[in-house]
Amino acid sequence: MTSTFLPSPPSKILSDLLNRNEKWTEANSGLFLQETQSPKVLWIGCADSRVPESVITNFEPGMIFTHRNIANQFHADDDNAISVLIYAVENPKMRVDHIIVVGHTRCGGVEACCKAAQADDSPPANALQRWLAPLTEFARNNGLGGDLSALLEANVRMQVDNVLKSEVLEREWGIRDVHVHG
Amino acid sequence: MATTVLNSTESPSYPEPTPIVLTKLLDQNEKWAEAHSELFPMGPQTPKVLWFGCADSRVPESVITDSIPGVIFTQRNIANQFHPEDDSAVSVLAYAVEHVKVEHIIVVGHTDCGGVKASADTAATQSPPFSRATALERWLATLTEFAWSVGPGSDITELVEANVRLQVVNVLSSEVLEHEWKLRDVHVHGWVYDLATGKLRDLGISAGRKGPVQY
Repeated sequence: MTSTFLPSPPSKILSDLLNRNEKWTEANSGLFLQETQSPKVLWIGCADSRVPESVITNFEPGMIFTHRNIANQFHADDDNAISVLIYAVENPKMRVDHIIVVGHTRCGGVEACCKAAQADDSPPANALQRWLAPLTEFARNNGLGGDLSALLEANVRMQVDNVLKSEVLEREWGIRDVHVHG
Repeated sequence: MATTVLNSTESPSYPEPTPIVLTKLLDQNEKWAEAHSELFPMGPQTPKVLWFGCADSRVPESVITDSIPGVIFTQRNIANQFHPEDDSAVSVLAYAVEHVKVEHIIVVGHTDCGGVKASADTAATQSPPFSRATALERWLATLTEFAWSVGPGSDITELVEANVRLQVVNVLSSEVLEHEWKLRDVHVHGWVYDLATGKLRDLGISAGRKGPVQY
């Protein structure tokens, strides 16, 4: 086994998670009778560790179908997010009624877009830059490169728009209403 | 009267009462924030773990590990996939590893996974080439092909485990890790969450830059 420099022994971080999981299952044994999930909400949020949807809303497992990515994006050409939307909205066992796009303050992805919008316009060089390109372009075109909180809110509005314009919702609205929130 | 065109600067006004679930989310969040005021204002995040898990509502990573906010950087998608050509997952990996400097990446599957079951169903009832007409079909295509190659009669939990192994291999083969391993080690692990008991199980397939790792 290699000796790598890590601030804490490699196993402790993982064993902490597993130990806490075990204690949690013992304290919540009543939860494990449900067989299927029936969430009413799809949450599209940021991967940021500080925004775990079920903790901050104090909702039990089974309530919030969740997709998290950098800067809570919904792109029309992203099979990852669209497949989540399809499953949440169309699957007969799911049929969520509400989709919530949730941004947050101090979002590193939004900050990166602010910086990139103020720099020279150059083509994206990697996956992260490609991922943030639409938001960066929006920031540049709207002069929001220096205004983090404005871009943050505008980002949520943009992603809500993207969800509202999706083919998935267009189809589902032919059958029933689904609401999108920001 | 103005036409109700939905754009990013107008608020829709539907004459409906606020849905109960939304009120509940916001109310409970308010109470939670007040009860945990010691956490705020929250400084920069320093999670040591990146979690690639399923979007399934029953597997909220921070609840089931009883972790406070700030511990687990998270991507959740259908059937906890990591595809090398998927900018969403790759950008999460890049940000987590290069900027946030997580030390561990955990791919977490779970029993009774709808995505895995969908792949198994398609593989059992159809033959390749499988339809890639919808985003969901494209998303599950490699898993469906794998399920077909394994043959019918696979237990779903076996397929859930095999899926986790496949995604762990994908993460280990990523350019992001190849680059970061020049600077420091980062370990990748595969776990399965059992919905019947709430318990997480380590598959014991952990690996780092020098190969398999045993704890």
